[in-house]
Amino acid sequence: MLRSLHIDGATPLHRLSVRIKLAGLFLASLAIFLTGSPLLLGGAAVLSALVLASVGMSFSEAGSRLFWPFVSIAIVAVATGVFEAPLQGLVVLLRFATLILLAAAVTASTEVGDFMEEITVLMLPFERLGLVNAADIGLALGLVLRFVPEIATRYESLRDAHAARGLPVRPLKMLAPLIILTLKDADMIAMAIDARGLRRQ
Amino acid sequence: MSTRDLVLTALFTAIVIVLGIIPPITLGFIPVPITAQSMGVMLAGCIIGAKRGALAYLLLILMVAVGLPVLSGGRGGLAILAGPTAGYIAGWVVGTFVTGLIAERMVRESQSGGRQIAGFLLASVVGGIGVVYLMGTIWLSINTGMGFFAALTGNAVFLPGDALKAGIAALAARAVLVGYPLLPQRT
Repeated sequence: MLRSLHIDGATPLHRLSVRIKLAGLFLASLAIFLTGSPLLLGGAAVLSALVLASVGMSFSEAGSRLFWPFVSIAIVAVATGVFEAPLQGLVVLLRFATLILLAAAVTASTEVGDFMEEITVLMLPFERLGLVNAADIGLALGLVLRFVPEIATRYESLRDAHAARGLPVRPLKMLAPLIILTLKDADMIAMAIDARGLRRQ
Repeated sequence: MSTRDLVLTALFTAIVIVLGIIPPITLGFIPVPITAQSMGVMLAGCIIGAKRGALAYLLLILMVAVGLPVLSGGRGGLAILAGPTAGYIAGWVVGTFVTGLIAERMVRESQSGGRQIAGFLLASVVGGIGVVYLMGTIWLSINTGMGFFAALTGNAVFLPGDALKAGIAALAARAVLVGYPLLPQRT
């Protein structure tokens, strides 16, 4: 049901470590605000498109992934062009296009597991301060992935139960039972986790 | 954080994801389909409270960041967080927290149904609409150089739909409070 956005491959970007890719993305996001020249930014956008093309994603797949981000950039750029100056709108368009293309390349070339490992490492300083338990993040993520299909099935049976009784399916009618039925399991799940000692505290 | 809080947080994240997967429900008197997912900010704050609600949204954003398509329409990945709408996504976390803070202070189990719904509605409007729009707009105007008020007026398109969502969220939160109360109460 939840399939990762990672694309299999062994391109140079795939082999790069997650940390370098994330640091690169972060630096790029700072760098594009250093210049307001449409020419430089246009070059950066073309470069990012080439980086994305290098991870071996099909053109239609890239198009469907980036369709909505590009719609939102287009709206923002047009609004900036109308309210401020047309050139400013172009600058905004190129800046965000650069960033979105690079970000999509990082997402497509990195596996969820590698990402999670990097996040655990990033959380270590906070863990030493006692602010967060890095292992809890992984546990919570696992719980979400485990329960999404179950909640979706529960939604379908609620909908069918309404339909079988000739009741209209309204968002309000569905929400409360869906939420109550789901959260009622929390105590049992928490007991099961503690009984197995999955959280060492 | 108790194991129960951790589980409630994760379950709510899962509910928000499911609200994005199910086909949008078309409301009878409005021809536009309403995506139930952005209602999650209001629901999370009003049902599991400020801290757990905000954590549920942090977990959702983490899942977006590591490349899982958890947002409505199968959207996800760092591209979503790098786009011009990133301020709204950060606003979800703060908005959920504010919604929860207001709900925890305003709503009591001993109150009449009408007062509970009014409390949830106020919390949803301030946290789920006010805070989210404010953070989204500040980010947008910093990144585009657009004036703050020009950017703020752009939100007007979403206001009718979000106002309706606040109403639905308030009624649903009240129904959950009656059936299975989880909201911490503060004085």
